[in-house]
Parts: sequence; C-alpha cells; structure tokens
Amino acid sequence: MSENPIKSSFQIQYEMLLNAIPSSVLMVDRKLQILSVNENFLIKSQRSKDTTVGRHLADVFPLVILQSTCIEESIRNVFNSSIAVKGQKMTYRAPGVPLRIYYYSILPIQSDQIILIMEDVTEQFRLSEEVRRVERHLASIVESASDIVLSTDIDGRVLTWNSAAEKLSGLKTQDVYGRYFFDFCDANQKQMVEQIFQRMKTSNAAHTTEFNLLTPSNSGTILISWVFSPMKDDYSKTVGTVVVGRDLAERLKLELQLRQSQKLTALGVMAGGIAHEIRNPLAICSSAAQFLQEDRIPDEFQKECAKKIQTNIQKASAIIENLLRFARSSLDTEMIEVDLISVLKETIDLVTNQAKVQKIKIHLSLQKSSVVVSGVPGLLQQVFMNIFLNAINAMPTGGVLSITVNSVEDRVIVRIIDTGVGIPAGELDKIFDPFHTSSPVGQGTGLGLSICYSIIRQHLGSIQAESRLGQGAAIIVTLPLL
Amino acid sequence: MGKNILIVDDEPDMCWVVSQIIQSQGLNVVTAYTGEDACFKLSKGDFSVVFLDAKLPDMDGLDVARRIHAIVKERPLVVLVSGYHYRDDPIVRNAQEEGLICCFLAKPFSNEELIGILISLSC
Repeated sequence: MSENPIKSSFQIQYEMLLNAIPSSVLMVDRKLQILSVNENFLIKSQRSKDTTVGRHLADVFPLVILQSTCIEESIRNVFNSSIAVKGQKMTYRAPGVPLRIYYYSILPIQSDQIILIMEDVTEQFRLSEEVRRVERHLASIVESASDIVLSTDIDGRVLTWNSAAEKLSGLKTQDVYGRYFFDFCDANQKQMVEQIFQRMKTSNAAHTTEFNLLTPSNSGTILISWVFSPMKDDYSKTVGTVVVGRDLAERLKLELQLRQSQKLTALGVMAGGIAHEIRNPLAICSSAAQFLQEDRIPDEFQKECAKKIQTNIQKASAIIENLLRFARSSLDTEMIEVDLISVLKETIDLVTNQAKVQKIKIHLSLQKSSVVVSGVPGLLQQVFMNIFLNAINAMPTGGVLSITVNSVEDRVIVRIIDTGVGIPAGELDKIFDPFHTSSPVGQGTGLGLSICYSIIRQHLGSIQAESRLGQGAAIIVTLPLL
Repeated sequence: MGKNILIVDDEPDMCWVVSQIIQSQGLNVVTAYTGEDACFKLSKGDFSVVFLDAKLPDMDGLDVARRIHAIVKERPLVVLVSGYHYRDDPIVRNAQEEGLICCFLAKPFSNEELIGILISLSC
C-alpha cells in the first residue's frame, strides 16, 4: 500500500508531462493496442479517453489513414528492429474533424512499447505552401516579362537569366550561369559595365544606361536600355545586382521612321523654293538649246549657248544632289568625325532657295574654317535644316537669318538667330515637346524640334531656345568638340 | 509700239536668254536685276512691256506689278515669268483678273511661246 501514493504521484507527474507536450503522443503495444494518449491527441481527433485507450489502433485511426501511411506495418517494423521511424507525413482526414497535417515519429522504448508522436504541422505546411505559391507567382512574372530580367552576385556573375534574356541573346541559362555579365557585352563597353557593378557595391540608387548585348548565335549585338539596381538582404547589405533590360530595336525603328517622315515634311516646305531654283536653269537651257537649232548662228554665240547650257545643268544637278543627300541620309547611323562647318554650309545651300523666295538674307559668321565633332552627318544636317526652316517660317515678310559658330573650351556653340515673329514666353519651354506646333492645323507636324532635341541628345549635346515675342528667336545648339 | 521692253530677273543668264529672243524680233531691251531697280526704271514710263520674274531677291514680281499699277500713269503690259507658280495657279489667275498682269509665261518655255506673247501684245 505504501507504494501506491508514490506510484500515483508518478502517474500524475507523468500525465502532466505528457499533456504538456504540444504534440499528440500515443503509447502502443506490440498488439497495436493503445495503452495511453495525451490530451493533445484527444482534442485533435475529437475523441474521449474511454473510446481510445485500450482500443486497437485500427479502431481509433480512420482506415484511409492506416492504408495511406501503412503505419501499422511501420510500428511492427519498429518493434522488430528497434530502429525509430522519424519525420513521416500524415494527412489526418476524419469525418467531422478539420483536415490536419502531421509529421509523426515512431520511437521504440523499453517494456515492449512504442511511442507514436504526431506533430501538427498544418499551419507551417499552409504557410510554406503559401510561400511556394508566391515564389511561383514571382518566378512566373520574371519569366513572362518581355524585358530581360537577370540577377548577379556582388561581382557581376550571373545567377538568374529569364526567358526574355534567353530569347533576345540566344544564350541559355546554362551558358551564362556563373559567368561575368560584362563578358556578354560589346568589347568596347565591357569596362564601363564592369564599373557599374563596382558602383552597385556601395550605391543605393539604380543606374540607367544603354549598351549592346552580344547575340553570339548571329555574331551580332542588340542595343538594350538597362537599369541596374543593387539587391539588398534583410540587413540592407548589398548581395548582388538586379539588371532589367529593354530591347531598343523597335524604338529605334520607330524613331528612324519618324525622323524620315519629318524630313519629307521639311522637303515639302522647301518645294516652292526648289521648283523656282530648278526651273530657272531649265528655262535657260531650254531657250539656249532652241537658239542652237537655228540656222547660220555665229560661232561665238553657239559657244556661249553651249556654255550656258552646261553651267545651268550643273546648277540644277547640284540642287538635286543636295536634296537627295538630305532625303536619304537618315539611313546612316554611324558616328564619325564630322566637320560641323561643312554640314552647316551644305544645309544653308539647301535652304537658300526657300530663303530667297521669302526675301530672307542668310549670314554665316565663323571663328574657324573647320570645327570637328563626332556625329552622324545626316542627322546633324536634319537638325540644322529644321531649325533653319522654322526660322524661315517665322519670317513670312523677309528678314535676316544669322548663324554664328563659336568654340568655347571643349564645346562648340551654334547660334541660329532670326528676326521673325518670335516665340511667346509661355511657349518657350514647350517648343521641344513632340506635337507642339504654332502652325495652323495641317501645316506643321510639331515634330521638327522634338526630333532635333533627340538627335542632339544622342550626340551628347544640348539645345535651347531664347526669344521675345515680336523680336525674333535664337536656337542655341551646343555639341562636344572632338 | 516702238518703246523698250524691260526684263526683270535676278538671274543674269535668264535675262540674257530673254534678251536674245526679244532682240531677235528687232526690239530694244533693258534689264533690271531687282524689284527696286525695276520700279525705278518703270517709274519713268518709257516701257511698253515688262517681263517680270515672279521671285526677286528683294520683292515678289507681283509686288512690283502692284507698285507700278499704283504709281505709273502709262502702265506697261506685264508678263509674269515664273518657275514658282504652276499652270492655272489661282494666284496667277487672280493677278490677271485684277489687271496686274496680262500674261503668264511658265519657266521653262519655248522661244516660240515668248515670241507668240510679243506678237499678241502687238510689239
């Protein structure tokens, strides 16, 4: 009798301990009979102790669970081998009981029993499912994007490379993984890209740039607009770089088309002047040729007629030559050494006809006879053509168009000044906006100066306007000297 | 008519060509290269016909015609010679209706066309 109180005290402590465990704990004997359970199991399975303890495992667990987990077989194996089974998954589905997910372990203990411990991981499982879903969602965003999205480690070695990157470059993820991203850039831009990665290590700001990406499959390159952003961990430490790139081919194509169509508009504006200037030499040639058809003409007169025909054909031809050069040149995109003065003079030749019919005098004032910049001659000519034609349009009753060229330090400044109607103060900051026009509907596209702006920006220069209403306008183009 | 014919064009070769054709008909010509010079020469009133280029460096041919219309009493017959206008150009038609010009000669022209005009103006 003296042992009973001690035993029951143990019993009490044992049950307290068992009930304190936040997992379901069952003691099972070799016959798969449940010897004891803790409260956690009873609550989760919504059973009472009476209908559980002393019953066979098969009476307590739903058949479907026993079949799917083969838990009876596992328990017998543990009895036979004395080796524990750990971390098995069990989905507990029973009538009237919410679905739970458990990880269970079967541990052999002495006295011919095993402990079945079932840890409820429903919540963790739901969370990790959620995390996986979010991850899948994010991954599919990156994969579905039509822009290049890639990530690198802190030194610029590629870690991820989305399908747009694969499609545009023709390089598979396995071709680029672990390799320096700048190895896939145009050789002469490599160093610049390497420096961006260096900067990312200490910078908090994104860096925007444009450079070519190699496309080894066709041994070419494509121009991409890039945004580099430092990738931070939870402690704001930079761990890598995220690089997003957009193919500029489509934009470039559109820009080219726009520039070309705007050029045709400029040609339309000049049509009157061109007609006059070409018909004059044609009329002279025509009449001189008719003189030559007459009988008994003096030798001297004959020579004079022939000379006039030749001179005037050359005159007409020079006008056509200039026009053709202007109309076609937007196809060149290569930056070369350009003498800005020759570009200006050629452009002045083109607008001279139009200026003449509008009684406009053109003055070109130069500091030097040649000023070399890096540029695309055709594009620079388009810029000056647009500015000149705007100036000419601003002087419907005649005036003076002055062009001055000055070199200051490492820049060249071209001022184009007219004596026309001027630009109202409120309009001055809008004149470089696309589709902004002061011309009546149908007479101006409003693209001329916006195209000038984009071309000059491409040449790393700047363009500004100064004006007072009624007192003419000045457009100032600044370009870096070579 | 017996009076001189004035040729106004800023292009010397153009003046030369027109002079040759007119002189071949035994007529006297005088040339002017600017609108201002033309107005000055016409103001004296001793020209029967003026061949006037449509686009001069200082003013439009039609402006010259308008000025002489206003200031010269014995007005010459004005032939507008132009590479700037097209045939049936409303600007030309209006100038004809206004009485500023009597004929339009489009550049390039045949020498016969010019001579035809001279004959029609009974020079």
